Amino acid sequence: MKRSIGATAGAFLFALSLFPSPAFPLLYIDINAPGGKRMPIAVADVVVDPGDPSLSRGIPKILSDDLVLTDLFDLIPPTAHMETVTAAHFSGKPLSFPGWKMIGAEAVVIGKVEARGDRLSIEMRLYDATQGTLLLGKRYAGTPAQLRSIVHRFANEIVYTFTGVRGVFGTEIAFTARSGKSRGKELYIVGMDGKDLRKVTDNRSFNLFPRWSPDGQWVAYTSFRTGTPIIYLRNVSTGAEKEVVRFGGSKAPGGFSPDGVWLYAGVSQAGNSDIFRVRVVGGAEEKVVEGWGLEVSPSPSPDGRRIAFVSDRGGSPQIYVKTVGVAGETRISNGAGYATSPSWSPAGDRIAYTARSGGRFIVATVAPDGSGSREVTSETDGDCEDPSFSPDGRSLVYTYRKRGYSALKIVSLDGRRQRTLVSGLGDVGSPAWSPGR
Amino acid sequence: MKGTFSWKWAVLAFSVAALMAVGCAKKQTVKAEGAPGAAPAPGVVTEEPVKEAPPAPVVVAPATPPAAAPGVAVTEEKLSQFDDVRFDFDKSEVKEDGRKTCQAVAAYLKKNPKAKLQIEGHCDERGTAEYNMALGERRATAVMTYLVSLGVPKAALSTVSFGKEKPLDPGHDEGAWAKNRRAHFVLK
Repeated sequence: MKRSIGATAGAFLFALSLFPSPAFPLLYIDINAPGGKRMPIAVADVVVDPGDPSLSRGIPKILSDDLVLTDLFDLIPPTAHMETVTAAHFSGKPLSFPGWKMIGAEAVVIGKVEARGDRLSIEMRLYDATQGTLLLGKRYAGTPAQLRSIVHRFANEIVYTFTGVRGVFGTEIAFTARSGKSRGKELYIVGMDGKDLRKVTDNRSFNLFPRWSPDGQWVAYTSFRTGTPIIYLRNVSTGAEKEVVRFGGSKAPGGFSPDGVWLYAGVSQAGNSDIFRVRVVGGAEEKVVEGWGLEVSPSPSPDGRRIAFVSDRGGSPQIYVKTVGVAGETRISNGAGYATSPSWSPAGDRIAYTARSGGRFIVATVAPDGSGSREVTSETDGDCEDPSFSPDGRSLVYTYRKRGYSALKIVSLDGRRQRTLVSGLGDVGSPAWSPGR
Repeated sequence: MKGTFSWKWAVLAFSVAALMAVGCAKKQTVKAEGAPGAAPAPGVVTEEPVKEAPPAPVVVAPATPPAAAPGVAVTEEKLSQFDDVRFDFDKSEVKEDGRKTCQAVAAYLKKNPKAKLQIEGHCDERGTAEYNMALGERRATAVMTYLVSLGVPKAALSTVSFGKEKPLDPGHDEGAWAKNRRAHFVLK
């Protein structure tokens, strides 16, 4: 236990050199500690001058809903707040921190908004209530339509301040569902908080397998709208589209290379599906995996060097990993039953997939070398399929099906927390989480 | 163990020092600095103008479906004069009763040399959509290969897979699944 003062001082100086500016809030949340303590935080009513008075509670509501979703914070209800925040608190007047501490808050968020016509100016501040220090302050300018996106951005900053990992608020999930009584399927996009649901395609044909480009601007998908399947790229902002894969029969995009240059896809020729990659610009194609079996669902690793994919070459569909351009493929699922739809984690350390277990489908994760397989979903009834990682790697979105019912759900990687993202649409499936915003 | 212990103290001591430094500042000034998306610097309010591209236009689902949907309506089952060819779970072998159906199809096509036949491959609802899409293609191709072996010219035949997207029977039991694992014939 005895260490010389010199050694400790050395370590301290080393820490200083690593972190030249104060980067350690005393309050810190370890996101990897299972069942870790949540941080009590108060989000005060926002000062509105001038502007719609409902923003006073509206902005804290958006922020609080975000923070609750992380499962890292306990929100102190506004009815318990004792201090009324005023404009003076943004020009030098200190908050009464003992009062905030008294109601249990370890962190306090205050905000001030000015809304003039179509211009919105928002200043948000995060304080450590135990020390009375400002941890984070941001001033945003935008339009009223950007209000939610601004608040999501500040929520991401709060999460980053306490955990070192940026939050995922403002990210979106693309998926497919039947529209009304039509037997076709359309693409939809929904916010990760379940809000802002919108229909992207509307051609009453089959529009399937959405996959995001790394810049979050484009979605690749297969559409049958001309009568035969073609993979298109669609700009989610403008709706502009271009064809990327026309050759072959059945086809489904799997994912983009991290530089956005290649789109990986499973494409059938003469009834046999292989893995191809196609240049997004120019359209040149290369075969990446071939074999007598069905090879589908390529998921590139975050460094772009490897892909995970599905092949039934061994008699049943299983997950394999291959280094692109190098001979040799390694099976990483256990070889029994049925393992499909791999999704590589953003950190590269896990691959989520669908496994068949006891006649039902479950979501599991495994290391890229096939070790450490773990079940994530634990539904007692119904099937869980098609996992896709959140950009922070902490959660998975997946499809839940039970007889006629279907929903999209989000589960924490350890399986402890779960919520329904979308329900009430027919036959939802193929969820894909957008990159970080 | 010892190393970990001293690290903890170093980090704690550093954090306290950092917070004292911040806490001692007389006034928390508002400064305009920091690139958008840069890590926040505690103690300083940074200005970060939101200058994003205009938000994506919200495509609202039309209250009433448009009279004429763009694209080809491929979502309605076309009636066929031929039976479907049925398959076992996760299989694409044409079984005995399926071969009889194919022989009747082949006889028809030989009598009607101008006829064009599309073979649709379908799967039951279980399993992943992409895998089923490829499996449906393999089933359709297996039927096509058998028809060619019976003397049907390949030029008269085409395939398309709908995977699990167009179930014949919307049920969720083995009876429905057995009907949905099929190749379906459509005369063009």
